[in-house]
Amino acid sequence: MSERTARRAVVALALAGAAIAGYLTYTHYRGITPVCATGGCEVVQTSHYAKIAGIPVAVIGLVGYLVLVALPFSRVREAPAVAVALALSGLGFAGYLLVVQLAVIDAVCIWCLASDIVMAVLTAATIAWLRAADAARLG
Amino acid sequence: MARPPAPPKARSKGRSKPRVQAPTPRPATGRGLNQRRYVIIAAVAFLAIGGLIAASILSTRDSGSPSPGGGDVTAGTALPGAPDVNRLLKGIPQAGAVLGRPDAPVTLVEYVDPQCPFCAQFATQAFPDLVSQYVRTGDVKVEFRGIPIIGPDSVGGLEAIYAAGEQDRLWNMSELTFMNQGTENTGWLDEDFVRAAAGSIPGLDVDRLMTERSSDAVSRQLEQAASQARTAGVSGTPTFQVGKSGAALGEPFNVRADSIDDLASHIDPLLGR
Repeated sequence: MSERTARRAVVALALAGAAIAGYLTYTHYRGITPVCATGGCEVVQTSHYAKIAGIPVAVIGLVGYLVLVALPFSRVREAPAVAVALALSGLGFAGYLLVVQLAVIDAVCIWCLASDIVMAVLTAATIAWLRAADAARLG
Repeated sequence: MARPPAPPKARSKGRSKPRVQAPTPRPATGRGLNQRRYVIIAAVAFLAIGGLIAASILSTRDSGSPSPGGGDVTAGTALPGAPDVNRLLKGIPQAGAVLGRPDAPVTLVEYVDPQCPFCAQFATQAFPDLVSQYVRTGDVKVEFRGIPIIGPDSVGGLEAIYAAGEQDRLWNMSELTFMNQGTENTGWLDEDFVRAAAGSIPGLDVDRLMTERSSDAVSRQLEQAASQARTAGVSGTPTFQVGKSGAALGEPFNVRADSIDDLASHIDPLLGR
């Protein structure tokens, strides 16, 4: 994959993730229930695990995705490396939250699952970007 | 002619072009640098994941830890005993007012008032053994029937408990209420108490519970429990009825509230023990 293609993939996937996290952030602050096919979204969103130090996890996810949207436009040399670190962190934390949903809360939020899938593919895209950028730089 | 001493690098690599030999080849530098960068990236991600998980766990513990002051609670803080209750009931099916497997061979009915001290004693001293020895094993399912016999606080408390049942968490709410029981009819079962209790239960939508306290479904259950108590001749709490599931319940009875032994003597024969 060329660096340009990889960068575009990162932007597109991060935008998709930001849309999901943005919707969950919106429903949280409006106090409305997300549209939910699995029926567990409300349970998950109102659980103790939905916030870290008072900050909704959806907001943390939204910020992360928006940074990942911006990074491919950056001229900073280490932008791909930062993107990989950020995406890996997001993926790892998403994995933890998935375990919490299955083992502790006993409910699964379909929006969170969708975000998990986007984050997994996005992580792969950032790695492809980093490899392409390194190959271009080192010849 | 005397030759000046060559620097160590020049001596090892050759005399004529000492400066050309000094840098290491470019591809090797790139690969080494990349490997170091990948390790740094992985380490940063690992630390970030660890930090986020630790913050999440600490955050959850904070919201689930006991607050000082017993029944005097503030909305938004968790009630004492919440982690114990959640652990006790975790993984056991709840459907409305019923705790336990739907196909349990024996059904136990408990009539309670959230302000009754003996109900609280039973809830804290006998109920955990009832759950671990009979309910978790799939032998017994327990049905909650709340009857407000002590006063106005009892009605508000039962509405909140039954509203928790609308989200299949009635028994968490009931146990938490008993564990933090206040003095009769002093207004202890107020909005703040209900919010704090509801907020201490994982996965419970607090705002929904607050709204559903005045729902038709909750009113119907209160009326039904009162009617069932009248039919069975129940006048005090805690009172129990037990029977084989699907068959008629036996006569109401009272038990010692400080241990499971008395209640077990009514249940065991039905289980052939």
